[in-house]
Amino acid sequence: MKLRRILYAIVAAIVASSLFAGGLAEWQLSGPEEGWRYAGYQQRIPIVSVCYIVGAMGVICLGWYQLRLSGTVASIATLLQDDKAHAIGDRKRFFALLRMTKIDELYQAISKHFAGCTARIAEYEKQIKDLQVQIQLSQRRGKNTEAIIYSIRDAVIVIDESDRLLMANEAAGQLFNFDFNSSQHKSVGELIGPDQGEFVDFLTRSRQSKGQATRKEIEFLEDGIPKTFNCIVSCVYDQGQQVCGAVAVLHDITREKQIQQMKSDFVSHVSHELKTPLASITAYTEMLADGEADDEQTRKEFYSVIQSQAQRLNRLIENILNSSRIESGLIKVNKEPASLTMLIEEQLQMIKGYAEEKKVEVIGQKPIVFDQVYVDKDMIHEVIVNLLSNAVKYTPSGGSVKIKIEVDEGASLVRVSVTDTGVGIPEDEIEHVFDKFYRVGANKKQAKGTGLGLNLVRQIVEKVHDGRVFVTSQVGVGSTFGFELPLATRQVAGAL
Amino acid sequence: MTGKKVLVVDDEVHIVHVVAIKLRNNGYEVLSADNGAEAFELACKEKPDIIVTDFQMPVMTGLELVEKLRQHQEVKDIPVIMLTARSFAIPKEQQEDLRISSCLSKPFSPKELLGNIEDVLYQKQVMVSN
Repeated sequence: MKLRRILYAIVAAIVASSLFAGGLAEWQLSGPEEGWRYAGYQQRIPIVSVCYIVGAMGVICLGWYQLRLSGTVASIATLLQDDKAHAIGDRKRFFALLRMTKIDELYQAISKHFAGCTARIAEYEKQIKDLQVQIQLSQRRGKNTEAIIYSIRDAVIVIDESDRLLMANEAAGQLFNFDFNSSQHKSVGELIGPDQGEFVDFLTRSRQSKGQATRKEIEFLEDGIPKTFNCIVSCVYDQGQQVCGAVAVLHDITREKQIQQMKSDFVSHVSHELKTPLASITAYTEMLADGEADDEQTRKEFYSVIQSQAQRLNRLIENILNSSRIESGLIKVNKEPASLTMLIEEQLQMIKGYAEEKKVEVIGQKPIVFDQVYVDKDMIHEVIVNLLSNAVKYTPSGGSVKIKIEVDEGASLVRVSVTDTGVGIPEDEIEHVFDKFYRVGANKKQAKGTGLGLNLVRQIVEKVHDGRVFVTSQVGVGSTFGFELPLATRQVAGAL
Repeated sequence: MTGKKVLVVDDEVHIVHVVAIKLRNNGYEVLSADNGAEAFELACKEKPDIIVTDFQMPVMTGLELVEKLRQHQEVKDIPVIMLTARSFAIPKEQQEDLRISSCLSKPFSPKELLGNIEDVLYQKQVMVSN
C-alpha cells in the first residue's frame, strides 16, 4: 500500500513537472518579433502554468482519494472477512491496514456495531435456548398429561368448541368403541353414535352452558352388559376465559350401585328378619295378656313360641354381630382339636327336623379314622349349619342333600362338601355368592335370607381358620358348597 | 261378622297360627296358605270374604298375589289387608291402584288386625247393600 502511494506520488510529480515544463517551453519558444504574440504570451504564461499546476493537483487529489477509498473498501472487506477473534488477536495488522484516521473511526464504528450485534446475537441465542427449554418442558408436560390421561382407568374425552374430539384415552375408546388415533377431530356425535345419545347431549349441553362442572349418572351397554357411569363434564377455558371445549370423565359406578342396592336389600331383609320373630313375640304376648289362650296347653304352646322366636331373634343378631366382629378382627377365637365328622354329626341332628318338614333327604357320611382339625367349634358349627340349612332351603321337596368328608393327607387338609339337588345358581352369579349381602337373583323368591350366611361361612373358614371355601353349581341340577381346613397334626391333636 | 271366611297368608307358621286363633275366637272361619301362589288357588276355590296376606313371601309375594287377584273376575273384588315387615311402606298410590284396604306393619297387634278386618267387612257389606 505504501509502495503504491510512493509510486503514485512519483507519477503525480512527473505529470505535474511535465505539465509545468510544457508550459515553460511553450513560453521560451515564442518569438519577440511577434509583438502582439509576445504580449499575449506574457499574459498567458502565469495562466497556463497555474492551469497545469491546478490540473496536476486535481489529478493528484483524485488519485489520492481513489487510493484511500480503495484502501477503505479493502480494509472493510478484510474486517468483514476476518472473524472477530482473529481481528482482535491481530490488532497490529489492522492498525497497519487502518493507519488512516477515517478508517480507524470506521473500524471503531463497525467494531461497536459488531459488538452490539454480538451482544444481541448472544441475547437471541439465550432466548432461543430458553424457548427450546420451554418447548421441551411443554412437550414433556404435554406427554405427562397424555400419559396421566391414558393411565386413568376412567374414560376421559376432551372436545373442542365445535364438539370435535381432541383427546380420548383407551378406556373411552373401549367404552364407545372407537380408535382415538383415527378419530381425532371427528364430531363426537358421529363417533359415539345414537345409542349413547344421552351422553352426547349431556356433553354438548354442558359445554354450551359455559358453567361449572355438571354431573349425571348415565347407563351404557358395555359388551351387552348394562353399566352405570358417573359422568362429570367440565368446560375448558382459554387465556381469555372463553370456553374452548369440554372434558368429560366417566367413572364406572356399577359396582358401587350394586353394593348400594345390596346394602339397601340387606337393611330391608334384616328389617324383615328381625321384625318377623318380633311380630310373633308381640302377637303371642298380647294373646296371653288378653286371655285368648283358653287352656294350659295353649298357654304353654304360646310360651314355647315366644321362647323360640326370641332365640331366633338372638341368633340373627349374633350372626350380624359375628360377621361384623370377624371383619373387624375383634372376635375371640377358642381353637381346640375336633373331629369334623363329629361336628357335622351334631349339626345333622338339628337340621333333620327342618329337612323332614320339607321332605328333603339328608345323607350323612361314615366316620373317618383321622379327620382332626384345630378349630373354634362354635364357629365351625355355624359354618356347617349355614351350608346344610341353605342346601335344604333351596332344594325342592323330594330332593336330597349329601354331605361328604374327604381327608387329603398329601395336602394335609380335610374337605367337606354339601351337595344338593336344588335349583342351582346361574354361572355369572357364582363368584358373588360369598359376598356380603349378595343374594342370587333367581333364588330370592325361593326362600328368605339376609345374604349374610355364606359371607359368614367364608369369613370363618378363610379369615379365622386359614381354610378355603368353594362352590360349583348347575342351574336345575344342584349345587355343591364346601370348605377345606388344614388337618391338625397328630402331635397337636394328641397334645391338646 | 261371624261366619265370614278369612284367608290368612304368611310363610311364618306362627303368625298364621296366632291370627287364626284370634279370628276363630271371634267367630271367623279361617283358611291358610304359606305363599301367594297357594293363596291364589285357594282364593279361587274358596272365595273368602277377606284376605290377610304377608308382603314378603317365597314363590309369590303378597303384592303379586293382589295383582293377580285383581286380574281375575271371580276374585277381583275380595278385599285385602297387607301385613308387612318391610322397612318402607307401600306407596299410597299403589295401595289405591290395587285396592288394598289397609296395611299393617309387623310387629302388629292381633286386636288391631281384627278391628281392621271388621271395618273392611262392614264397609263391604254397606257397599253391597247400597
